[in-house]
Amino acid sequence: MIAELGHLLAFLALATAATQSALGLTTGGVAVKRLAVATGVFSLLALLALVISFVRLDFSVALVAEHSNSQKPLIYRIAGAWGNHEGSMLLWCVIMAAYGAGAALFMRPDMLRDRALGVQGLLTTGSLTYLLLASSPFTRLDPAPLDGAGLNPLLQDPAVALHPPFLYMGYVGMSFVFSLAAGGLIIGKIDRDWAKRVRPWALTAWSGLTIGIALGSIWAYYELGWGGWWFWDPVENASFMPWLVGAALIHSLIVTEKRGGMAAWTVFLAVLTFCLALLGTFLVRSGVMTSVHAFAVDPTRGIVLLVGLAIAGGAALALYAWRAPKLMAGPEFDPVSREGALILNNLFLSVAAALVLVGTVTPMFAQALNISLSIGEPYFHLTFAPMMAVLLLAMPVAPMASWRKADLTPILRSLAPAAIVAFIVAVAATVLHGGFAPWLFVGVFVGAWVVAGVLRDLLRRAGAGGVGRLFRLPLAVWGMAIAHIGIGLFVIGATTETASREERTFPLARGETAQMAGWSFRFDDVRQAEGPNYYATRANITVTHPNGGIQVIHPEKRIYPAAGTPTTEVAILKTLTGDIYVALGDTIREAPGVWRIRIARHPLIDWIFGGAGLIALGGFVSLAARIRRREKATVEEQAPASGAPKPATAGAPA
Amino acid sequence: MIAVLLLAFQLATEAPLPDAGQEARAQGLMREIRCVVCENEPVSQSTADIAVDMRRKIREQVSEGKTDGEIRGYFIDRYGQYVSLRPPTEGLGVLLWAFPFALLAGVAGLIGWRSFRSRHRDLAPLPDDGRSDPQG
Repeated sequence: MIAELGHLLAFLALATAATQSALGLTTGGVAVKRLAVATGVFSLLALLALVISFVRLDFSVALVAEHSNSQKPLIYRIAGAWGNHEGSMLLWCVIMAAYGAGAALFMRPDMLRDRALGVQGLLTTGSLTYLLLASSPFTRLDPAPLDGAGLNPLLQDPAVALHPPFLYMGYVGMSFVFSLAAGGLIIGKIDRDWAKRVRPWALTAWSGLTIGIALGSIWAYYELGWGGWWFWDPVENASFMPWLVGAALIHSLIVTEKRGGMAAWTVFLAVLTFCLALLGTFLVRSGVMTSVHAFAVDPTRGIVLLVGLAIAGGAALALYAWRAPKLMAGPEFDPVSREGALILNNLFLSVAAALVLVGTVTPMFAQALNISLSIGEPYFHLTFAPMMAVLLLAMPVAPMASWRKADLTPILRSLAPAAIVAFIVAVAATVLHGGFAPWLFVGVFVGAWVVAGVLRDLLRRAGAGGVGRLFRLPLAVWGMAIAHIGIGLFVIGATTETASREERTFPLARGETAQMAGWSFRFDDVRQAEGPNYYATRANITVTHPNGGIQVIHPEKRIYPAAGTPTTEVAILKTLTGDIYVALGDTIREAPGVWRIRIARHPLIDWIFGGAGLIALGGFVSLAARIRRREKATVEEQAPASGAPKPATAGAPA
Repeated sequence: MIAVLLLAFQLATEAPLPDAGQEARAQGLMREIRCVVCENEPVSQSTADIAVDMRRKIREQVSEGKTDGEIRGYFIDRYGQYVSLRPPTEGLGVLLWAFPFALLAGVAGLIGWRSFRSRHRDLAPLPDDGRSDPQG
């Protein structure tokens, strides 16, 4: 019954979404707002119906029977609702409709809102049609099986249960940025006010995407059993491309909002980000590539996504080609200025995105042409990394440069202490590493330069008032500072981890001891153990810390009978300087009783994930700044009765 | 029994090379040679038997004094270019390596040239909100 209700709700959402697009693109008005809210509510309730079916283990629903199991813990039953193709398509539709509903509730009612909701309605209609025609999650099964097949056990993990909602908050969130771009192009008004209204949505989606990518990376780190956090794998690259272009977008939006410049480029990025999100989904879902992360793959789904991408992208680009020549060029500025610095940012981020795109799809084309080719870490390390290093050198300078024309000399002079600090940190890292490694030196220098430079900028803005004034700085400044510091810490962590990680595989029989980096590991024994829905082979390893402390750890291998696949559960020892990572491998074929134990040291690994967290936090703080400023602006507007202040000129200083 | 264990140890031993520099080189190569039976894993990360073999082969060749290029070539000859995560640096591969920098330089040059041509020397800095002139 619940499943049928869900099915019905999805149809209702389809009906309201179609009406929403029809009205939004023609008459507009308050009906569009109500329809957008209704689409959001109906699709959310449809998802709720699916979640209830999963929680109640209703195996007469085909999807539940395939992807859940009576022994599964409650939280993974809930997450199981979107841990499969059909459910994740429903989640896609829900988030798309939710962005529409959110915009209907929070945006000022006018032409831009109505047209954007109209376009969003079109996208939602397309997604829901595909869901209901080709991948309905509510299909019944007769007769119903007694028990389900279970979730892919690799996915039974908190990080990966939350990964899809955040990733979609990013990917699908870009759909509303796209709708705002299309809406702005339709009414022919891409100006400062447009940019001001797009930015909160771009920030929300981009910060969500940041968290989604970071969760995927954390999961890969401790669940796949080899301690890698980023491998330039096609699936990772697929989510990284919209991230890079989205980062370019939120910076170019600043130029359009503050100065009215770069309008054509900004709206192009807004369209491109969503197209790349669709392309990423296509690459992941269609099975055109193999990856450690590719789960639900099916070639026919790929075709649908590709057609959707072609229609949405093609229509938007046609619209763009029609309107872009009429967009204003913006006021003049000197190359050395805030505008110039943000153009530099966009140049590097876009070229980096192009490089990731080419590096990802070239092997696929090569494979189709029977050319043997792989593009992996060495390529990206030698192309992407130096490009980013140059970009990061400019990062602390940009926020200190004034608009229109800047004088570099005083900026560089006040940043000199940051350069000295960064140099000292890089030398210290080299000494700790035990030798000069060029990439480590450059990476740590650049990361420390960014952190120190941003702190220097904060102090400059606080002026003579000191630390007390620091907390009275505008939230927008804090958002920028937090995100940039996050980037700096991330770069320090990433380069240190890459340059100084050690990994070794020891063949150990019971009672034997392995030594690494001052730690010793005694392999005591291996026992069989049982979890709620799995069997584990669990090792007991006694670890002696370099400081003499003793601890027993239990890395294990699991078999989930419902799915039959083995997984690795590593043991991780946290230290101030990084992780000690122990994974239980297989027994050696020729000598049963001898196990391969992989031991690795991952220095500063938490800086990588912590840095990513700060980047997302910075995005959300900027968003909060925007919301607070909007409230202030509303109060100011209401004060002089009907003084008719133009929206573009209202508002507090940045 | 002891003989079997010893044999297994010889097969499975992955002692690092005594020379730290050589070991670092070997580890670097392990990260860019693909495990041929796994999906998207370099041999450094795989626990498959063949990856163990490949790791030993890499260490062996490093200690014999072979260059990185020779060792890469050894695997490419056997398993095809696919085995190397580092695309080739000759032939069309050059395009792959050069295009990001060419694109960056090209676009930067274009922007730089255009903004230099239309450069105005009488512009004054603006405050942080980017809106009004300081004079009002």
